[in-house]
Amino acid sequence: MKRPASITVLCVLGYISIVLAFPQVFSPQVKKLGLFMPVLSGVLVAANFMAYVGIWYMKRWGAELFLYSYFLKTILDILYEQTGLLFYSGQLFSLVFSIVLLRYYQRLDQNL
Amino acid sequence: MLWLMFKESVLFAWQSLVSNKLRSMLSLLGITIGIFAIILVFTIVDSLEANIRGSLQSLGNNVVYIQKWPWSFGPDYPWWKYINRPTPQYHELDEIAKRSKTTEALAYRLGGRRTIKYKSNVVENAVVAGISYDYYKIKAFDLSAGRYFTKNETDAGYRMAIIGSEIASGLFPNEDALGKEIKIAGQKGKVIGVIKKEGESMLGVSFDYQVNIPFNFARYILDPRSMNADPVLFAKAKPNISNAEMMDELTGILRTIRKLKPLAEPNFALNEISLLSQGFDTLFAVVGIAGWIIGGFSILVGGFGIANIMFVSVRERINIIGIQKSLGARNIFILFQFLCESVLLSLIGGFFGLLLTYIATIFAKGVIEMEITLTGANVILGFSISVLIGVISGFVPAYTASQLDPVEAIRSN
Repeated sequence: MKRPASITVLCVLGYISIVLAFPQVFSPQVKKLGLFMPVLSGVLVAANFMAYVGIWYMKRWGAELFLYSYFLKTILDILYEQTGLLFYSGQLFSLVFSIVLLRYYQRLDQNL
Repeated sequence: MLWLMFKESVLFAWQSLVSNKLRSMLSLLGITIGIFAIILVFTIVDSLEANIRGSLQSLGNNVVYIQKWPWSFGPDYPWWKYINRPTPQYHELDEIAKRSKTTEALAYRLGGRRTIKYKSNVVENAVVAGISYDYYKIKAFDLSAGRYFTKNETDAGYRMAIIGSEIASGLFPNEDALGKEIKIAGQKGKVIGVIKKEGESMLGVSFDYQVNIPFNFARYILDPRSMNADPVLFAKAKPNISNAEMMDELTGILRTIRKLKPLAEPNFALNEISLLSQGFDTLFAVVGIAGWIIGGFSILVGGFGIANIMFVSVRERINIIGIQKSLGARNIFILFQFLCESVLLSLIGGFFGLLLTYIATIFAKGVIEMEITLTGANVILGFSISVLIGVISGFVPAYTASQLDPVEAIRSN
């Protein structure tokens, strides 16, 4: 299936957000939140990246992984009170992405 | 099943890395340098922080320093507002003691650098501190020999001294210091105690280079009205009394003692250790962020290096992938195989980075007299970053390999 333009644009934005989020994994602020917080954030960033790759190839597992990681990240951010401007802009982006994904969900490939 | 697949993937990855030793070494160099840079900065910052916080703790968290100058950081220090303030005086100690209900102990100290002599042995620039009796309740120190002053000795200003370990070894290299008469800036004083060696302090407040004498004896050596003598009144809060509560009371008492009008600005500063901590917090945050940026870029470059080498690796083994797939290997197995290779590569790079950091900490211990420790938290962080960069940089090549058509893959050159 040909990738819709909206997904292409959102995926490119997603890749850029990964490049920006990657250094935050080991930032002093995240390190202060706890010993395993950088590990957890790292797992979430990696999962997010894999999800974008999956969505790029129009795979259903990519959309599912994206939704799971988005849900987990939101819980983690709320738990650790990381609800600044970055949080809200991330939420908005993920929400738009989720809506677009749900729209094309039936057309996504079920294989790996 | 999953374990078998994982084991086999790791074995494949290992074989691939071993068969291209030089290429593997070069590609993991970026990660090694990145991990080394970032973990070294974190290690130094953590060690410095622990050291300074330890030194600050020894100054007492529940102690308030009544001084002329407030402790403050930043470029906009309005010194002209404080220059004409009076220095704290010894008689104010008794006045505060009479009125205060929140303080457990009060002490006075003034200090200055003077020369100490015993026969032909001389110690230059020793810190001479004139102290009141309760000083030991504010700043605890252990004596390796002798005793502390009695109340009578401090009040009457007996010519006695309690000396630090470095002063003792400088003046009395081969004999016992106790009972000997030393000269403190020309004034005779008898040594009644030697303070146990404390070692270097990050804030330079070690007792090792200090000569403590009763305040009323110190008047002959140091001028209490002089700014250079840095007179300080210490107030220690009673248990269950907060510093804020004690500072409120002290403000009222000092305003009364100094006869300040209700609207007049206070002519004293109440300083507490948390002010210093806040100043250091800013400093550590800046150093941490600097290290994070430098290390972050190195790791990013290293990640691109690994991604590049993984694409090459996929291209080289395209026929093998085709054969594996035609023999029944599933997509996930091919994905795992290449992902394991990139994670393994990255982990080895991270391991060497951490090893370099560890060697640097050992080397630093020999050069500077400070304990720099590579903590478990930083080791976990180093390996986590390595795994993360391995996954991110290896996923796209691995996924591309897993999606190959077996017939096309076998046919390609």
